[in-house]
Amino acid sequence: MSAPMIELAKVSKSFGANQVLRDVDLAVQRSEVVCLIGPSGSGKSTLLRCVNFLEPYDSGDLRIDGRLIGYEDVAEGTRRPMAARTLREMRREIGMVFQNFNLWPHMTALSNVAEPLRRVRKLASREAADRAMAMLTRVGLAAKADAYPSRLSGGQQQRVAIARALAMQPRLMLFDEPTSALDPELVGEVLEVMKSLAAEGMTMLVVTHEMGFAAHVASRIAFIDEGRIIADGPPRRVFHESPEPRVRQFLQTYQDRNSF
Amino acid sequence: MSLDQFWHYAPSLLSGFGVTILCWAVGSTLGLILGFAIALLRRLEIPPLNGLLRAFIELFRGTPFLVQLFLIYAGGPSIGLRLSATAAGILGLGLYASAYFAEIFRAGFAAVPAGQIEAAASVGMTPFHTMLRVTLPGALIAAVPAIVNMLIILTKETVVLSIITVPELMYQVQTMAAETFTAFDAIFAMAVFYWLLIEAVSRLGSQVETRVTAFLAHEARA
Amino acid sequence: MKPEVILHSFGYLTQAAGTTVAVSFAGIAFGFVIGALVCVARVSPRPWLRRLGAAYVSVFRGVPLLVQLLFVYYFLAKYGLDVPAIVAAVGALALSSAAYQAEILRGALNAVPRGQGEVATALGFSGLDIWRRVLLPQALRISTPPLINEFILLIKASSLVSVVGIAELTRVSMNIATQTYRPLEAYVGGGLFYLAINLCLAGLGAVAERRLAGAGGR
Repeated sequence: MSAPMIELAKVSKSFGANQVLRDVDLAVQRSEVVCLIGPSGSGKSTLLRCVNFLEPYDSGDLRIDGRLIGYEDVAEGTRRPMAARTLREMRREIGMVFQNFNLWPHMTALSNVAEPLRRVRKLASREAADRAMAMLTRVGLAAKADAYPSRLSGGQQQRVAIARALAMQPRLMLFDEPTSALDPELVGEVLEVMKSLAAEGMTMLVVTHEMGFAAHVASRIAFIDEGRIIADGPPRRVFHESPEPRVRQFLQTYQDRNSF
Repeated sequence: MSLDQFWHYAPSLLSGFGVTILCWAVGSTLGLILGFAIALLRRLEIPPLNGLLRAFIELFRGTPFLVQLFLIYAGGPSIGLRLSATAAGILGLGLYASAYFAEIFRAGFAAVPAGQIEAAASVGMTPFHTMLRVTLPGALIAAVPAIVNMLIILTKETVVLSIITVPELMYQVQTMAAETFTAFDAIFAMAVFYWLLIEAVSRLGSQVETRVTAFLAHEARA
Repeated sequence: MKPEVILHSFGYLTQAAGTTVAVSFAGIAFGFVIGALVCVARVSPRPWLRRLGAAYVSVFRGVPLLVQLLFVYYFLAKYGLDVPAIVAAVGALALSSAAYQAEILRGALNAVPRGQGEVATALGFSGLDIWRRVLLPQALRISTPPLINEFILLIKASSLVSVVGIAELTRVSMNIATQTYRPLEAYVGGGLFYLAINLCLAGLGAVAERRLAGAGGR
């Protein structure tokens, strides 16, 4: 059995005096879809952002496909920050989708997707444009290739953002509350794209509040509370059979609010 | 320049500084009062009046201060307005400032969230009381930083008065420089002096800003 | 009041208006280059550069423009080699405008949302590419309306260079006033030309603001 695609071992992180992640252990295998759920302030976004080292973690091991990210082991027990270039190389293999899309407003949808291919993968304009178009078609937005982000709905913008991340052909994808900033009617189109990605075998780590998606698409649910993972297992087990009071309390408020 | 020479000119420099402060103080006050009045009048939204007021503001904000001063001082006599240089300088500064303050107050009024006015209306407050306890304090709080900034700008503008021979500091320094052939050194000293003055005034201004904002916020809550 | 005076001097005033616009444009252009450098210093990770940048802004915004102008003029007269007054004029305007432009650019950089650079980092962009392709284009768009406003301010500030003899609008108005003994008409004429220039620029600014809020802005 090969190394997990993402592996966290005793990862901790503090913001000043505030400890946000406490000795977190988590593994995401190849082609697994793991959904991170939990109350706000629990550290889920921070955990996700540590995976591609957008946030540096303080201690523990974070490995991508077996390789330590963010630090290099120098000698026994000591480590130094990873060289910028190496970090960039590793980031090429990790796709990330943000809550507020972060599309570049001064570029068209096509340019948004093609730009990383040109700057980071160093493809020629023609090739980059072709690949970008293929990706936009994949997410159902070929017709909007020449539109600027300000002319696209939230759901469309997020799909372009997914296309941009996908175009880089990453080995895994990180999703930071991808539908939280969307109007309810637009959530579905984004979840559909994510579902199809999962069906194709993409390794995904998703921070989300969409319990329906988590229940039906996730291989595993990890529940994080106050910086610790207190439940980790298949959706059925976590949603219906969890002994943890915090988990049940959290899910109860969801059921109360979402049934009518 | 020797120390003796400097002492010879010290009184005129001091008087020049006094004139600077006088022009700035009276001009700013005039500008604030007039600007506030204009902003209030604009809220009445009477079309012919509004057009006139807008034209006034565009005129004084769209033309250089120096040209305005020349117009008042040199052009004034043609329409019966014979003012001394200092009087013309103060009037010029006041009119120039009023156009900017009018816009500052307008922005201040616009910054009061419509929701606050609605809240006052929904509890049955009279328009007068709404203006007094909600709109005005809110507008003034919002306007304070811009007002302080403008007052500092006016401090710098006083040197332009020297061009129409108002005997303020710059004028006295240039007179001294011409008589003692120390143009470069005098200008350098002026630059340093004004830099220090503006730095000090800016810091003072920040403090005043904080205090006044707190005071007004308290008044609005009381 | 005799409006004919303005009509007779129309040619002179138009030429002078051209000089005003040219001098102001040169001032803002050089000021942009210097201002960009000062801005880079202001946001530099090195403390001494930051302090230098802050000092520049403090000095050139604190000292009145007239004083700066005369300083440059006397400085060049004392140490420079017979340089025409126009150099002192444009130089002083540029140095002064640079301080304000540096702050405009700095504000624009801060206004670019953090996520813009973040997503580029997540994709593996190099620092240089993040600057060139993401931050700079957006900062320049954001700073266009305030820069047009700065141009308007410079047009007005250029009236001060009349004191070093440059034949721009204010000086020419002064000349007309002394030659025709009609100062009121002369300065009204000059003022009208300034208004015309500034109204055009204000219109340009409004167009720019609308365009930027549309395609590309968010």
